[in-house]
Amino acid sequence: MKIVVAYKWAPNPQDAEVRPDGTVDLSRAKSAVSEYDPVAFELARRLADATGAEVIGLTVGAAAIDTPLARKAALSRGLDRLVLVADDALAGADGTRLAAVLAAAVTAIGEVDVVLAGDSSIDVAEGQVPLTVAGQLGWLGLSRVSSVVADGEGLTVERDLPGGVTVLAVQTPVVLAATADAVVPKVAGMKDILAAAMKPVEVLALADLAVPGAQVSLTTLATARPAGGERQAVLFDAADPATAASQLVGALRQAGAL
Amino acid sequence: MNASQSWVLVADDTVAAGLVEVARTLTTEVVAVVAGRLAVAEAVAHVVDRVVWLGEPADAPVEAFAPAVADLIAQAAPLAVIGATTPGGRALLGAVAARLQAPVLSGLGSVELADGHVVVTRSMLSGVSEHRTGVEGGTAVLAVDPRADVDTAGSPVPVEEVVAPPLRTARILDVKVKEHAGVNLDAAKVVVSVGRGLKAQADVALLESLAEAFGGELACSRPLAEGVDWIAKERYIGISGQHIAPDLYVAVGISGQLQHMVGVRDAKVIVAVNSDKDALIFAQCDYGIIGDLYQVVPALTAALRGTA
Repeated sequence: MKIVVAYKWAPNPQDAEVRPDGTVDLSRAKSAVSEYDPVAFELARRLADATGAEVIGLTVGAAAIDTPLARKAALSRGLDRLVLVADDALAGADGTRLAAVLAAAVTAIGEVDVVLAGDSSIDVAEGQVPLTVAGQLGWLGLSRVSSVVADGEGLTVERDLPGGVTVLAVQTPVVLAATADAVVPKVAGMKDILAAAMKPVEVLALADLAVPGAQVSLTTLATARPAGGERQAVLFDAADPATAASQLVGALRQAGAL
Repeated sequence: MNASQSWVLVADDTVAAGLVEVARTLTTEVVAVVAGRLAVAEAVAHVVDRVVWLGEPADAPVEAFAPAVADLIAQAAPLAVIGATTPGGRALLGAVAARLQAPVLSGLGSVELADGHVVVTRSMLSGVSEHRTGVEGGTAVLAVDPRADVDTAGSPVPVEEVVAPPLRTARILDVKVKEHAGVNLDAAKVVVSVGRGLKAQADVALLESLAEAFGGELACSRPLAEGVDWIAKERYIGISGQHIAPDLYVAVGISGQLQHMVGVRDAKVIVAVNSDKDALIFAQCDYGIIGDLYQVVPALTAALRGTA
């Protein structure tokens, strides 16, 4: 069995500089393996250890996603090898473009049984891309996966859905997106980081992949910095909690908030 | 492209009023495709002009219908396709987006038609920026909060059955139904929310008392709902949880990360209680108490009850 972990090397928008006109400078925001993706790495490793499968990391994006640090950060999380598509043609690409490239890379890797992804990315935070990858591949895509185990014929998958925990019998190939708390990811130790340097990395050229062209395009007509960020904190010192509490309640009553 | 039609993607859930509402702002004709039970199709038939029902799902998950839905949309080539920001909705949207090679627009504010183009405002990068964006070259694919149940007061249109076999690679074996406490954070005027500053599950009771003293609802930040599971996931506020706009939001032991604060940006008044004077939340609140929540929360509860 081959398991691909599709992850994102992404900046945290909390570190973005937002100019008054709403344009965003991410140059000072450091990128990392996106917050919830380590859960997918861990689920993949556990499934692979139980089945003897190979775990392949896959990420796509602008040229800047391929650095020694970025490679090591992924390879130290239980991968057997890493596949990258790093091309500035993908800078600022929308989710459907990224999904098309991810799907083309999965096809290029070949004979993949399971694509695992995290809940959502730290920057875009929509949870759409894994399901668009499923659409590109024509496979079943299931999100909110809290557990995946191999059984005789396929996989038993549990999903944490609004209506309740749903148990499914699933045949591969399939795309699965984990919940943020499906498993607690193992923290990479020194041994994992040293071993990461020895693991194979393959860089696929975007031009060599069969990526369908975009049919619908977006035009940015205007940008703005959202309102609501300007609040003037009135602070109360809690050296004496009872006084601070009654001052706060008084202030809230005066402001008409109570 | 059929510029007079919008299609809504309904994933076995009558909570679809938000989808139809957006569709109505764009086109005169609204078609629903229902990947779910007949009862859902019959409910949706009250609020749209045509309903295409794909047949009883039996033990197939909604997601198994995604390729069939994408086929229908590709044939219809509507001006817009509107799906839900729910797990099933995202799967249907993903298949449609892949088939049309179109981006999925999320985090939407306004949606309108300008010179024949769909134009939206949307929140970008977890809400740090707002873009006004025009869609060109084909169908606009929109992800929308389905909001509320469809209104079944009007007279329904007939349900058209178009039998579309789902992918047969998954079967639902069991659903362990969750007991819902019937939380409606949207309707609450006051919401008291707690985060990582809380040390033990037993201490949730302290916050429940505070919420009660405020006459409000209890909520939390992500780590208390996912990870430790101390508070129900339905009560989690944040980018991928609930977005609310209460009159008063009281954040206790919450540091104020962007991914949490985007869920309460529209609150009228924000109060913060945190022991860390450098916590990000003190730059994003109207009132704050710098102090230990284990001292401040009981004092605040007493002050509200007039027992201090």
